[in-house]
Amino acid sequence: MTPEEPADEQANVVELPAASRATDIALDELELVYAFIYARVGNRPDAEDLTQQVAMKAIPRLRQGAPASSIRGYLFATARSVLGGFWSTRLGLSEAELREDLAMAVPPGPPSEDRTLAVQEVLAQLSDNYRRVLELRFLHGYSLKEVAAEMNSTVGAIKVMQLRALRAAAKVRLPE
Amino acid sequence: MNGKPENRVEKIVSDLLRGRRLKLRGGDAEEKAAIMAAARLAGARQGPQRMSSAFRKRLAAGLDQTRREGLVTRRAALVAGLGLAAGAAGGVLLGRTGAPEPASAKTIDPLDGRWVDVGGLDEFPEGEGRRVVAGGVSAYVFRSGEAVSAVSSICSHLPCELTWQAAEGNLLCTCHPARFAPSGNPKGSYGLTALSKVHARVTEQGRVEVLGTA
Repeated sequence: MTPEEPADEQANVVELPAASRATDIALDELELVYAFIYARVGNRPDAEDLTQQVAMKAIPRLRQGAPASSIRGYLFATARSVLGGFWSTRLGLSEAELREDLAMAVPPGPPSEDRTLAVQEVLAQLSDNYRRVLELRFLHGYSLKEVAAEMNSTVGAIKVMQLRALRAAAKVRLPE
Repeated sequence: MNGKPENRVEKIVSDLLRGRRLKLRGGDAEEKAAIMAAARLAGARQGPQRMSSAFRKRLAAGLDQTRREGLVTRRAALVAGLGLAAGAAGGVLLGRTGAPEPASAKTIDPLDGRWVDVGGLDEFPEGEGRRVVAGGVSAYVFRSGEAVSAVSSICSHLPCELTWQAAEGNLLCTCHPARFAPSGNPKGSYGLTALSKVHARVTEQGRVEVLGTA
């Protein structure tokens, strides 16, 4: 089963610059796609697989001679479709059931340059304990045990706090 | 979610922080918001990422190959006077490379299995699924002429009983809106594993038997 394709996929065949330079240009655009996908799946193996899927889906539809901006738009439309399929398959949910969650992953353009800053903006909107547990875990790379020691708590309590903090973070829209 | 949700989410967070793939399973959907937030936090913690040089090389090789195939296909279309060029050619390529087949179905081969009579062939209307139980194996049996086929009646994703939807000709999961064709292949946008096949046969006496357990 394939995830839904971008609605305008059939009509949207984009021109690609002539042969020898074309692969380099496509690769440069795919760097942005990779960063976009990595920022949403959070790990390299999945990001590589999904970027490859985007390339294999989109590149055959690109023709000689188009501006990079058209190529980029088409690659990102394909990337959104591939990401939708990824979450839908991994969670066993239809894309309709994930509509709200996936809507948060749709950017107006290429990824911003400083996503670490974006994370801090999200964390700043959480309560002190929630912010602290996510900061220590994700930004400082602490283990659960280390977080528990730092916060004078138990590993069990930190696990519960981490889950609640992630639920709360999910409600905060990350700036793109 | 199996077990305590905080334990499951911690396992996912721990994998992400070690740079491992997202390994999700049935039940994780209940914490989808937390899991997706964890992935985004893990993805953002080191700033924008670049492809490794090894991956970039693999991708470049794949792109060159795809381009060569595309050119061949496009030329064939022009020779045929179709003038469809890359749009249609891309569609053909997409169809071949982009649509994953459902994961192959297993066949249930019970140890010490035995053939269980589940009814006469005339009790199985053509084109309809009928649920049968053969000891520990429950299955939907489908008749096609004088032959029968059978698939497990348990959803391949969440272990719930499927129901036959006569109007749509689908097997529907009662726990989850997953649908399967009588062949066992998943339908819709789920990309689930196909249903397990179950051995079924028609005897010379016109009885339907399913390989089940005592």
